[in-house]
Amino acid sequence: MDLLFQFLSNTGYYLADYRNVIMIVVGSIFLYLGTAKKYEPLLLVPIGFGILVGNIPFFKGFGLGIYENNSVLHYLYFGVTTGLYPSIVFLGLGAMTDFSSLLARPSLMLLGAAAQMGIFFTLLGALALGFLPREAASIAIIGGADGPTSIFLTAKLAPHLIGPIAIAAYSYMALIPVIQPPIMRLLTSRQERLIRMPELRDVSKKERIIFPAVAVILCCFLAPASIPLLGTFFFGNFLKECGVADRLAQTARTSIIDTATILLGLTVGASTQGDVFLTPKSVAIFVLGAVAFSIATASGVIFAKIMNLFLKEKINPLLGAAGVSAVPGSAREVHLVGQSEDPENFLLMHAMACNSSGVIGSAICAGILWSFMIVL
Amino acid sequence: MYGFTAISTHNGWAMAIAGALIVFAGLVVLSSIISQLHKVLLFWEKRHPVFKNNHKMPKNDKPEGQEDTPVSPLPKEFPTDLDEIACLYQPLIDEIGETFYLSDLYEIARKNDFPHPHITFTAFRESEILVPCGDSVFSWNPPTENKDNDNG
Repeated sequence: MDLLFQFLSNTGYYLADYRNVIMIVVGSIFLYLGTAKKYEPLLLVPIGFGILVGNIPFFKGFGLGIYENNSVLHYLYFGVTTGLYPSIVFLGLGAMTDFSSLLARPSLMLLGAAAQMGIFFTLLGALALGFLPREAASIAIIGGADGPTSIFLTAKLAPHLIGPIAIAAYSYMALIPVIQPPIMRLLTSRQERLIRMPELRDVSKKERIIFPAVAVILCCFLAPASIPLLGTFFFGNFLKECGVADRLAQTARTSIIDTATILLGLTVGASTQGDVFLTPKSVAIFVLGAVAFSIATASGVIFAKIMNLFLKEKINPLLGAAGVSAVPGSAREVHLVGQSEDPENFLLMHAMACNSSGVIGSAICAGILWSFMIVL
Repeated sequence: MYGFTAISTHNGWAMAIAGALIVFAGLVVLSSIISQLHKVLLFWEKRHPVFKNNHKMPKNDKPEGQEDTPVSPLPKEFPTDLDEIACLYQPLIDEIGETFYLSDLYEIARKNDFPHPHITFTAFRESEILVPCGDSVFSWNPPTENKDNDNG
């Protein structure tokens, strides 16, 4: 009988507390949004399931939990805490990205830079709310709307915040269709939304091959701390464009990135154990993340309007919202908002140019913030 | 410590301003360089024979003044029927081979002044004239063959 009671006292049903239940509900919502609503399913499904797995109560000391040494989840989580998975995800992203539109219209890169202002505004906000500089920098990077970059920087600067920051970053990426369109509409007039962009010029293969080599040198010389992200990103792109390593490019953009995404999502989800995750800090991170993402979107749109003051050939200011690096969600949203005003206005390719420069911009920002924190 | 005091104590203003300026400067430099990239390449390609004047001219070089002739001269009024359009595309397909990347077909179509290649390709794909073979490679299934297939 004692054995039975002992067994029952070790079950999840006995050990569960309200925080586990709350997080299991959150995980279920993620799974619902990913599967039923199809909001970023490739991210929300692994994370949502990871939240379920991570919040099953267990007897501490068995080597089961993600924060316990020698547990399987702990070993898988190693790829997050070392920044390994984000680097691998960037390799695959590079092998998927087509920079033709950016090469055809390089001035759109400025919108990718402008949208990073959300990061620095949020840095100030987080410091003002009492976060330490390393924590503030990790929270600020959510404004880049780039999950892997957020995880990478947080792993380096504030590993204890990986769970809430990763969940916030991916949540806002999934909520792009909810967050961005109202900001875009608020900051632009109908006339501005109707502006059509000219057809992009053809970009030669040589340009596409040379670009990743030039870009990796320029960006990583400027912010060497971004090498783990931009190094693999541009390497992946070079594999894609060089034309002699198609097999490697194909593997990078399919098997490799998929494996990394599965392990990243599952372990980040599992890292949100109720007792670790449900703290006032997490709430503050979610609020700041929303602010960061909104400011980033607004900065891009406003900067596009400022550019229009000086340009003869006006650009559609909606494109500024694609300067955040949520690829391709924000580009798609810009395109849809543009088409809701004029169904024959095709902004997707131009928006992708801003989007891909946003990826570069947020990785540079991560490198810069990391460098600042080393100095501090 | 909270508010402006916390920002000032942790050097927040300097970090934010410097960070914003650095990322802006970096991307401005990158965009300036890549905006000149095609000009540099064009310059290099034009200068290439001068630097290598001891070498033979490449086989496909034309005598001076002779422009590239289009693969397929287009009719004055471009047809609207998809099968007729496919016939116009046939010489381009003959030029690039039976299987090809869509980007190659797009490039050659643009060079030959075919109107709206993107839209045409979409229509070709829908009517299975362009058949995906995986790995971004497509094959050409001319309309006559299509019809044969349809008839079993």
